[in-house]
Amino acid sequence: MSARASAVVALALCVTALGVTTPAEAELFYLIVGGLGGEAAYAEQFDKDTAALAAVARRTTAGNRVTLLNGEAATAEALEMALDSLRTRTKAADSLVVMLVGHGSYDGESYKLNLPGPDIDGAQFAELLGKVPARSQLVVNATSASGAVLETWAAEGRTVITATRSGFERNATRFAQHFAGALAAGSADINKNGAITAQEAFDYASRLVADSFARDGALATEHPQIKGGAPTRFTVARLAGPPPEAAPASPEVVALRAERDRLDTEIEALRGRRDSMASDAYLAELQRLLVQLAEVQGKIDAAQPRPQQ
Amino acid sequence: MTSRSACAAAVLLLAGAAPSYALTIEYALDRADALVACDRMLYRGAQPEAQACYRNLVAGSADTRIKADAARALGDVRSANSFFQAAIKEYPEDAALRTRWGELFVATHSNQQAVQLFEEALEIDATYAPAKLGLAVIAAGQFEEKTREWAQQVIDEAPEQALVAHLLLARAALEDGAIEAGDEALDEALELAEEHDLTPLQIYAFKAAVDLLRGTTASPWTQRALTLNPRYGDAYAIPAHFYVITRRYREAIELLTKAVEIEPDLYAAHIELGINLLRENRLADAQRHLMIAYEGDRFSAPLVNTLRLIDSFDNFVVTEHPARPAPPGSNAAPNPGVIMRLHKDESAVLGLYVKELVDRTIETYSKRYGFTLKQPVIVELYPDHDDFAVRIAGLPGIGLLGVTFGYLVAMDSPTGRADEDFHWGTTLWHEMAHVFTLEATNHLVPRWFSEGISVYEEWSTGPLPGRHIPVPVLAAIREDKFLPIAELDRGFIRPTYEAQVIVSYMQAGLICEYIAGRYGQTALEGMLDGFAAGKDTAEVVTAVLGISPGQFDEGFAAYVETELGPTTAQLEPWQEKQAELGETIEAGDSRLIVAKAAEAIALFPDYVDGGSAYLAKAGAHRDLGETALSTATLLEYRRRGGHDPDALFTLARALTLAGRNDEAIDAYKDLLMVAPLRSGVHLEFGDLLSSAGRPREALLEYQALLAMNPQDLAEAHYRLAKTYVALEDRAKGREHLLYALEIAPHYREAQQLLLEVVR
Repeated sequence: MSARASAVVALALCVTALGVTTPAEAELFYLIVGGLGGEAAYAEQFDKDTAALAAVARRTTAGNRVTLLNGEAATAEALEMALDSLRTRTKAADSLVVMLVGHGSYDGESYKLNLPGPDIDGAQFAELLGKVPARSQLVVNATSASGAVLETWAAEGRTVITATRSGFERNATRFAQHFAGALAAGSADINKNGAITAQEAFDYASRLVADSFARDGALATEHPQIKGGAPTRFTVARLAGPPPEAAPASPEVVALRAERDRLDTEIEALRGRRDSMASDAYLAELQRLLVQLAEVQGKIDAAQPRPQQ
Repeated sequence: MTSRSACAAAVLLLAGAAPSYALTIEYALDRADALVACDRMLYRGAQPEAQACYRNLVAGSADTRIKADAARALGDVRSANSFFQAAIKEYPEDAALRTRWGELFVATHSNQQAVQLFEEALEIDATYAPAKLGLAVIAAGQFEEKTREWAQQVIDEAPEQALVAHLLLARAALEDGAIEAGDEALDEALELAEEHDLTPLQIYAFKAAVDLLRGTTASPWTQRALTLNPRYGDAYAIPAHFYVITRRYREAIELLTKAVEIEPDLYAAHIELGINLLRENRLADAQRHLMIAYEGDRFSAPLVNTLRLIDSFDNFVVTEHPARPAPPGSNAAPNPGVIMRLHKDESAVLGLYVKELVDRTIETYSKRYGFTLKQPVIVELYPDHDDFAVRIAGLPGIGLLGVTFGYLVAMDSPTGRADEDFHWGTTLWHEMAHVFTLEATNHLVPRWFSEGISVYEEWSTGPLPGRHIPVPVLAAIREDKFLPIAELDRGFIRPTYEAQVIVSYMQAGLICEYIAGRYGQTALEGMLDGFAAGKDTAEVVTAVLGISPGQFDEGFAAYVETELGPTTAQLEPWQEKQAELGETIEAGDSRLIVAKAAEAIALFPDYVDGGSAYLAKAGAHRDLGETALSTATLLEYRRRGGHDPDALFTLARALTLAGRNDEAIDAYKDLLMVAPLRSGVHLEFGDLLSSAGRPREALLEYQALLAMNPQDLAEAHYRLAKTYVALEDRAKGREHLLYALEIAPHYREAQQLLLEVVR
């Protein structure tokens, strides 16, 4: 039961935060960069990963808020221009997701993202990112040696995910493909709200990375890390289109949503008392609230159908 | 000079040694008279006098070499080592001294240093017999054929000093089951002992072992030894060794217990006793004897490793399933109960499959061999292969997959090895057959027959379809390397070439297959009865099959030629085709890969190990978009026993997509015998079983899914809830729905099912 209990603690935050992830006036932007592949097999895999990430991004937000730099187009200059564009287009209330796929390098002092032409170094990238006003940021650096920037890129309001534990894990990584998979997989959505948070995606992808090495009987050459920000509240992808909450609602639906939120709060409070209650009493009370919640949700769905997943 | 490194190592290894007074018998004819006088007191059991005698020598002898030997006899290995170091400086060209120092290292389990010193002694005097015997003793401890070579050399070159050589040859012969030859070697040793007035204690103990192997348990030789020295523990411990190697652990425990009763500081016997008590699952008793041994011998790697293993048992979960009598009127076999010791991280998942498989083996073997198990079977699975290796032999680094000690089976868990190498289901099937062959014969079954039945059952009733013979074995068949049936045990115990153990396994399996086919399954049962009655292989073959062992060998050779001759004849062309296939795969032309793979398959259709052409062909078909052909190729691969987990998973999914549910279910079942802890398998297999209307089996898969603590716990609980509801267990269904919704309150499907369940 301890695993379930810990999952509940993490998810309580997700449920509470659903409404605040992307407020109506806020917008979500994506910048996806597919760096140099080098060998054909890597180039092919990186292409696949960036395309999958871009598809998720376009499903989650408006297409004009997704910037994709891939292959020969993914130069340092283009990357600088894209970040500069985000500097002018985003406002403080917005959210930004940056995903870096490809090879990185680390010489013991500085990290470099390998791009066609000159590489971009980690400090320069962090500086450009710091100029983007969007206060809620998620940076997923899925490159080799990406662990080198975990500490230096993390900042207030910014969650950083890296594929490796340090700059010294230099093998080509598997993390990007599993992260892309996480954003499209229903099983990554552990609280079943149709949205994948940064934490959910990280947990899912990390597990698959570890499994893949175990299955190969190989020592893992990458150990994904996460740091900073509020990853349990950062919605990085939706399994279907935008949430129904984004659409205008009738007074009846508004009232039902308020009732649902009240029940959510009660359920969360009950879960907080779990250890102090007898198991039967806890489950009985949980059932009472969950049945009410299911009924309310049924009415909301009837009045305002959900998009298909 | 090489001795410098040996000295340095010696200091390191012997630091902190505790005194040990176990009796060591000295046979060197050049041993100093002063030491021999003390030795004689020791040999007659006058330990206090002997110790006083040795102490006097340590304190008063002017010869550092004598001090060293006296200290060693006192069990003070640290002082002995210091004296040896000093003596070497005084007598750098003394071969005897280096040999004696080497023997000290043998006693403290530091064989590498010992070998170095023996070799240095032989550099000084190439004919020095005790140094050669030192090397022979080390080889004997590792069951190496070199024992005989060294021993024979001493007998030829220095017959007067050859007592130990005869003892070693006797031991090797007895270990091979050559009782007469062993006895004759002991007679030679006895003559030399009398001639040189050396104690015959050890020879008497080996004579008792001869009697034991001939079926006489109360040997007069034991009494003769005890008359000479009432506290000579080896009088029992030496015969016990032969019980151990013939897997008669209970009898060995009995003798070893007597050994430590009369010689409480015989630490080697405490170690053996501890290890064998563990084989009987008597943990507390085992630990007690191992701790006694540790107080006196801190250098034994098997001892230290086994104590660590016992400590690690805290990380294992023991589950006990009670005995289940056969239902009245049914033809089901009674089940004696099953105890499983599984690692806590794996127990919840593996326990489900292990128990099911063990039950199936009990049912299968009880009927096939007409024997009912008398007590619960204990099954242990180790995720760390080194722990398993310690469990079975006390030393890590052993290549076996599983071992059976009567009612106790120990084996690697599926996580103990890379999964494509290890079909855990087959290993368990194999080991469980040993439980039957050992117990049905009171452990009198010869090794070859027990292994043969296990291999034959793998092929004929096990979870992996088909006969599976590795390429090195086929090569050995082509080179006519099979042994006569009456000598087959030698291939297991004392192999003379690298692949001989696996060749012997396969030969034994083929022999049992041949017997079952030619003489019927009842002949195998009859042979078990013969072995249980104490007959040897030749007698059993003659009595049960009605022919001589030689005639049997002729018939068997013809069978092997018929069954495998065509394959062995194609071995070289097939290897060439495999090489060509490898080059084609590099080039990446899928159409050509299909063609080359088909050629390789035609030459050796049963080859499903690493680099199997079936996998290349299936992959190429898939790349060409020929899904049906890819699936057909994988089906054929599986039918012949292919068990690469990726291939099985691909096959199971393809069959599911094609709506071929029954075949898909079979493929998933095979996959679970290789990779039960692989993520994704249980969810997909459970879903398939659910959709195929088999909720009870689906339940097992969803339970396994939940036990793996998946990231998506809500989904696992929801699947379980749905299945319980389908099985009309609404209470369980409700419980799991609440758990699912507790994690994910907005989980729509679970919400809807909850409303259905509670309304």
